[in-house]
Amino acid sequence: MVNEPKPDEVNSNSTALTVKNLSKIYDSAAGKVVALDNINFAVKKGEFVSIVGPSGSGKSTLLNMIGALDRPTSGNVYINDVDIFSLNDSDIATMRNNLIGFIFQSFNLINRTTVLKNVKLPGTISGMSASEANERAMRILEALGIADKATQKPVNLSGGQQQRVAIARSLVNNPAIVLADEPTGNLDTKTGEDVFDMLKTLSHKFKRTIIMVTHNPELAESTDRSILIRDGRIDKDVIN
Amino acid sequence: MNPSDIFSLAYDALVDRKVRTILTVLMVVLGASLVVVINGLSAGQSAFLQKQLSSLASNVIYASSGQRSYYGGESSQASLIVNDVIANKIRTLPYVTDVVPQYSGSVTIDSYGNVQHVSVVGMDPTKLTVMLPNLVFVDGSTLAPNDRSAAVVGDTIANPPGSTTPFVIVGQTLKITYSYSDSTGKQQQEVRNFLVTAIMKPSGNTRIDNALVINSDAANQLLRKSGRYDSLVIQTTDDTYVNTVQQEITGIYGKNIGITIPQAFLQVRQQTAQGNAMFVEMIGFIALVVGAVGIVTTLYNSVTERIREIGTMKAIGAQNSSILALFLVEAALIGVMGATLGLAIGVVGGYAMTSFPSHTAGGPGGFGPGGGSISSFPPIFLPEDLIKVWLLSVSLAVGAGIFPAWKASKLSPMVALRRE
Ligand SMILES: Nc1ncnc2c1ncn2[C@@H]1O[C@H](COP(=O)(O)OP(=O)(O)OP(=O)(O)O)[C@@H](O)[C@H]1O
Ligand SMILES: [Mg+2]
Repeated sequence: MVNEPKPDEVNSNSTALTVKNLSKIYDSAAGKVVALDNINFAVKKGEFVSIVGPSGSGKSTLLNMIGALDRPTSGNVYINDVDIFSLNDSDIATMRNNLIGFIFQSFNLINRTTVLKNVKLPGTISGMSASEANERAMRILEALGIADKATQKPVNLSGGQQQRVAIARSLVNNPAIVLADEPTGNLDTKTGEDVFDMLKTLSHKFKRTIIMVTHNPELAESTDRSILIRDGRIDKDVIN
Repeated sequence: MNPSDIFSLAYDALVDRKVRTILTVLMVVLGASLVVVINGLSAGQSAFLQKQLSSLASNVIYASSGQRSYYGGESSQASLIVNDVIANKIRTLPYVTDVVPQYSGSVTIDSYGNVQHVSVVGMDPTKLTVMLPNLVFVDGSTLAPNDRSAAVVGDTIANPPGSTTPFVIVGQTLKITYSYSDSTGKQQQEVRNFLVTAIMKPSGNTRIDNALVINSDAANQLLRKSGRYDSLVIQTTDDTYVNTVQQEITGIYGKNIGITIPQAFLQVRQQTAQGNAMFVEMIGFIALVVGAVGIVTTLYNSVTERIREIGTMKAIGAQNSSILALFLVEAALIGVMGATLGLAIGVVGGYAMTSFPSHTAGGPGGFGPGGGSISSFPPIFLPEDLIKVWLLSVSLAVGAGIFPAWKASKLSPMVALRRE
C-alpha cells in the first residue's frame, strides 16, 4: 500500500519524519540520473522501517537525503517538524548532530582512538562536557554489552562488536531518528542477525525511530514496515 | 566543539602518525635552528667587531711590508723593505704626528715549565697607547722602553681563559724561544730570558690581549729581523687626516707598501660579515619554507588518508569550522614543537660551535686590526630575535596548514558513506 502523507501528519506529534515530493537528480558526465523521483512517506515515532530494493534503485540516496548529507533537487524532509533543508549548512550540521544517528555499513569508526572516545564523539562535537559524554557513552556501552571494550581500539574488535560500537555512537546524543545503511552488510549471517536484534530491541524496548536499508528480505520482514524502492520510486509500502 | 577536544583530537592524530610527524617536526627544527644559530653568531660577530673598533684609535694607519693592504677592499702584494729610512721619511709627512715601528713574530714562552705559543711584538711599549688610547696596566706594572730584557704581557696570556692561576705575574722571568730555519735550512732556536715588567688589563682587542711586547732592539735580534720592520703604526693629527696621509704614502711608495686603515678594515669586515649572515640566513629561511612545504605535504596526505574519518565526523555533526580548526591545530602543534626544539638546538649549537676558540697567532702584520674566524666570537642570542624566529616558524607552519585544513573542511559528508 502506498502511503501518501496527509497534510495533518506533517505536524503530528507522533510523526518523527516526513518526506515530501522528494526528488534527486544527479548530473554526471554520463548524463542525468534520476536517483529519486517524487518520494512521499512519513515515519511515526518509534517505528522501525526497512528500505529495500534492487541495487541502484536509490535507497542510499534516500537515506542520505533524510540524513541531510546531501541536498535534494526538490522536495522537503521534516524531522520533528523541522524543514531541514531550509537550514543553512552550519545549522544542518548541528541538526545532524542533535537529531540523527548514523550507522554505516563499514562502521566508520576512528581506529586510532578508543571505543569510548568513538562513542563519545557526537557528544564531544555537540560541546557536551567530557564527564557527561563519558557517562552517557558508558551507559550505552553497558546496555549494548560491550562496556568491557571501552578502552580498546576498534580494530581489535570483531565486526559485530565494531558495529555495536557504531550503534552506541549513533545513540549518544539521543537522536530523533537512527539511520542505518546496510548495517549488517559487512557481517556474516549470524553476527548480522545479532546486530539486527539489537536494533530491534532499541526500537521495541527503547522506542527508537529507526530507518534501515537492507538487502536481506528476512531482516526486512522482521521490521515494522518495509518500503520497496524501485527506480527511485516507492513501489510498495508494507506493514509487516 | 570545545577547544580542548579539538586539541586532543589533533594531538591523537599526530601521535598516530609518529614517524611522519617527527620527520615533519625535524624539518621545522632544521630551519628554525639554522636561523637561530646564524642570528646568534652574526650578532656575536658584530658585537665583537664593534668592540675591536671602539678599542682602536681612529687616527692611526698601519703600513706594512709584505702584508695585504686594506683600505676599503683593495689589496695588493707589497714588496718594500720597511726600515728606519722609510719610518723617518713618513715621520716628516704633513699631519703625521708619530710613527711607531714594529717587529713581529711567533714565539714560545715558558713560565715555570708551562708553555704557550704566542705572538710577540717588538716596539716601544710606551707607544702602545698610540694604537689603544684606553689601554691600562695592572698594578705594579712599569714600562721600561729602553730595557732590552723587559716584557709586557697581554691579558689573555697572563690569565689564560679557564685557568684559575695566572700564567705569569709582574716581576717574573719568562723564557722566550724563537724557532727558525737558517740559510742552510737547518732548524735553529734562539732562547732568551725576559723579565715581566708590566701586564696589560683587557684591552678589548683580541690580538693585543694575546700578544707579548718586548723592546724593539731585543726583538730585532731575537727574531733576526736585521732592521726590517714588519709594520709601522702611523699616527695622524686626527682621524680626518687618515685618508690624506694614506694617499700621501701611496703617492710615494705606490703598491710597494701595504696600508691598513682599521676603521675601514673593520667596516669592510662588518659589511662582509653582514652579507654572509644574510646569505646564510636566507638559507635558514629557505629551510623553514621547505619545512612548511613538508607540513603542507604531510597534512595533505593526512587529509587524503582520513577522508572517511572527516566525512564521518561531518556526518555526525562536526562543523566545517571544527574540521578546519582540527587541521590548523595539527599544523600549529608541528610548528610549536619544531620551533621550540629548533630554538633550543640553535642556542646550544651556537655555543657549541664557538666553544673551541681558534687561536689567531699574529703574523708579520703585528698588531693592527685582527681577524679570527667567525667561530671565535661568542654568539649573542637576543630574546627578541628568538621570539621573532619562533613566531616566524609557527606562523609558517600554520600558514602551511591552511590549504590542507581548508580542503578537509570542504569535504562532503557523503564520502563517509562511500564504500571502499
Ligand atoms: N554521487 C552520485 N553521482 C551520480 N550518480 C549517483 C551518485 N550517487 C548515486 N548515483 C546514482 O543514483 C542511483 C541510485 O544510487 P544509490 O546509491 O542510491 O542506490 P542504492 O539503492 O543504494 O544501491 P545499492 O543497493 O547498490 O547500494 C544509481 O543509479 C547511482 O548510480
Ligand atoms: Mg546503497
